[in-house]
Amino acid sequence: MRQRLFGWARPLGLAAAAAAMIFAADVQRAEAQSGTLRVAVLNDMTNFDPMQFSTVNFFLIKNLYDSLIEYTEDGQAVPSLATGWEIGDGNTSVTVTLRDDVTFGATGSAFTAEDVAATWAKAADPTLGRNVYATMGIVRDWEVNGPHSITLNFNNPVPDRQILDLLQFTLPLEAAGIETIDTIPAGTGAYVLKERLVGQRVVLEANPNYWREGEPKMAEVEFTIFSDDASAAAALESGAVDLTYMGQSRTAVRLGNAGFQVIAGPGKLVQVFRINTTRAPFDNSEFRQAFNFLMNRAGILRVGYADLGEVTALPWAPASPAADPSFNEEFAYDIAKAQEMLAASGLSAAAMSDWRLLVNGSDEASTAISQVVQGSLAEAGINIDLDIRQGAEFIDALLSGDFHAVFGGVGNVQKFPSRLATNSIYRTANNPVFGEPHPHPRYVDAIARVDTTIGTPEEVQAAYDNLNRVMVEEAFGIATNSYETGLIVAAPNVEGFILDMDNLLVARGLSVR
Amino acid sequence: MSRKAPRRSLLALRALLRDRGALVSLGFLSILVAMAAGAGLLPIEPMRQNILHALEAPSASNWFGTDELGRDILARVIYGARTSLQTAGGAVAIAACIGIPMGLIAGYYGGWRDAVLMRMVDVLLALPGILFAMAIIAVLGRSQMAALVAVGITGIPNFARITRAQVLSLRSRDFVTAVEAFGASSQYAMFRTVLPNAWSPILVQAIVLASLAILLEAALAFLGIGVPPPTPSWGEMLRTGKNYLHEAPHYAILPGVALTLTILAFDTLGRALARVLEDRHDSGAGLAAAKEEGGR
Repeated sequence: MRQRLFGWARPLGLAAAAAAMIFAADVQRAEAQSGTLRVAVLNDMTNFDPMQFSTVNFFLIKNLYDSLIEYTEDGQAVPSLATGWEIGDGNTSVTVTLRDDVTFGATGSAFTAEDVAATWAKAADPTLGRNVYATMGIVRDWEVNGPHSITLNFNNPVPDRQILDLLQFTLPLEAAGIETIDTIPAGTGAYVLKERLVGQRVVLEANPNYWREGEPKMAEVEFTIFSDDASAAAALESGAVDLTYMGQSRTAVRLGNAGFQVIAGPGKLVQVFRINTTRAPFDNSEFRQAFNFLMNRAGILRVGYADLGEVTALPWAPASPAADPSFNEEFAYDIAKAQEMLAASGLSAAAMSDWRLLVNGSDEASTAISQVVQGSLAEAGINIDLDIRQGAEFIDALLSGDFHAVFGGVGNVQKFPSRLATNSIYRTANNPVFGEPHPHPRYVDAIARVDTTIGTPEEVQAAYDNLNRVMVEEAFGIATNSYETGLIVAAPNVEGFILDMDNLLVARGLSVR
Repeated sequence: MSRKAPRRSLLALRALLRDRGALVSLGFLSILVAMAAGAGLLPIEPMRQNILHALEAPSASNWFGTDELGRDILARVIYGARTSLQTAGGAVAIAACIGIPMGLIAGYYGGWRDAVLMRMVDVLLALPGILFAMAIIAVLGRSQMAALVAVGITGIPNFARITRAQVLSLRSRDFVTAVEAFGASSQYAMFRTVLPNAWSPILVQAIVLASLAILLEAALAFLGIGVPPPTPSWGEMLRTGKNYLHEAPHYAILPGVALTLTILAFDTLGRALARVLEDRHDSGAGLAAAKEEGGR
């Protein structure tokens, strides 16, 4: 009798317990996703296309989109939207297996291999591919094997690391949303767009169906656009925001000393003194090579970046497989040695001074480090003026090659070495500064050798060494220092930082205690 | 007549020196001009970098401290005075050389010449000075000469209007009529008879415009479109110094003090001169107009 009585009660109890657990989980999720993370940024975004890989969009990309794979801080590839990847024999293909539990945040549609195929089709389009187009140069085609499997085929054998870079650089878009991607985000990210007021703020809200367990932590992320670094820092100090993103190194050091958290990711940029070798006197190679010794790298790092970074004579971050610190000693700041090389150039004093250094007047660090170089050149007997331009005028000159020399940061310096060629001055084809044919064929060949060397570690290292030597001898880009971009300065009660390989802001793990 | 002029000037100078504010201002400006003019003789190097000693506080070796490149701020303030005073002097010269003849012709001849010239002045006045200067620099490029020309052009309307007002009040006076009756040419009457009697408010205007020119040059440099670095400029020092307010407040404050004192000195001197000349000449309306123009 008793057993019969409890016979119907048991399933009821189990159902109640299950309901309680679901309710508790909902409550826990609701509690976990409460509150707003307030972030100060210094520039408004330009559009929602992750292929528009510009620093002004860095605060949004990894919150609205996920990559196929991710890198850990030390460069190890880990699964993300791809659960696995298998590089085919001869390194001419890679087959990627995708998660089957992912949906797009804005529409709720399931994420499939067709979306990845559509994303690659956009990336391979010269117009639509934007910053990813150059990376797709190694790709021949792709084939969808099933809803959650896709194979990418390459033109030639491709080194493993370059394949991984491509997967990490792939942020799948919803196929149906590609046409409107500039204005309407279509990703699988932890957050979806809630509101945007141009020039004022961008508000994201948690994606309710996000696939990573327990993330995102906050219900909303509100990005407020500040006109300058000092205002953003003041907002952080007054408690009006929880963190600042992409502020200046000097401010970060000051705020760090005041007890705020300073978070620097692995994706540094390298400052490069870019030289237009098609213009006199820089068409003289001895004259150019002297600049390897005219860079007061330690001074530039101190004045421009408050010593946050490292001096480097090569355009690599320390994590790059091609990094070689021995070049820093070989090409250390040495006015006397530079003067010997200048004399060997055969140029007159007047010819050596007959050029101007283009400066980004909107960037205090650029103005300061350009003056450091101006001072060093004066010591060596080269007296030049600064050509200071603002905003769009400077960008136009920089990208069209309308300069003799200019400082400019280069990215992708921690990834596969040939990714350096995505930066304008280092492009091997369609170089906007040098035009066609490329005036430095040794450099073009060295990049090609790096791209095609798939042998023993010694052979690969030899290709890197060759590239490094060619770059200092051709001397069209003189690296000076690595520096932080995407610096995060946060209040002490913010936790859960996830560092991105490219220093993009990843908010899904962040919470405010 | 020619013997009276210097005596009147001397009397005006004596009266000016009796004004305590004017005396202090004149003393300050004299020292400033002397230092700016003789900066090359002083043992200072405004361009010399010493990065290891960047952003140091004022000390015995660097009285005003050092900037972000380790340069001596006092040296740069002194050379910055040279930049400011050169810009002010050049701007006043441009404004006076164009504005005074415009006002003279408009006031003397009247009619269509007056209408055309004054409408041109109205057009210049309708444009905010700093925006107009920015537009000129956008065309000419960023240099001290561009800043000087830009500031000078913005001062033209003030001189033109003051001069015209003076000429209109003098035009019908007996001594002008007498000169014309003796058969003097228009040019002679304008430049040898009317203009020498109209100089008082114009002088005040020149001093007031000098202070405005210094302020405008500093504002352009602060906005990043003035004299390009590394040429020392007070506005440029303020612009860069504000980035280091937490670490090195002296970097922005000391050039700011120099700028403030200089503008204050010019303004005080201009006002005192206007008072003195108002007392000594029967040209109160013109001087009042000069002060009003200066306050624009």
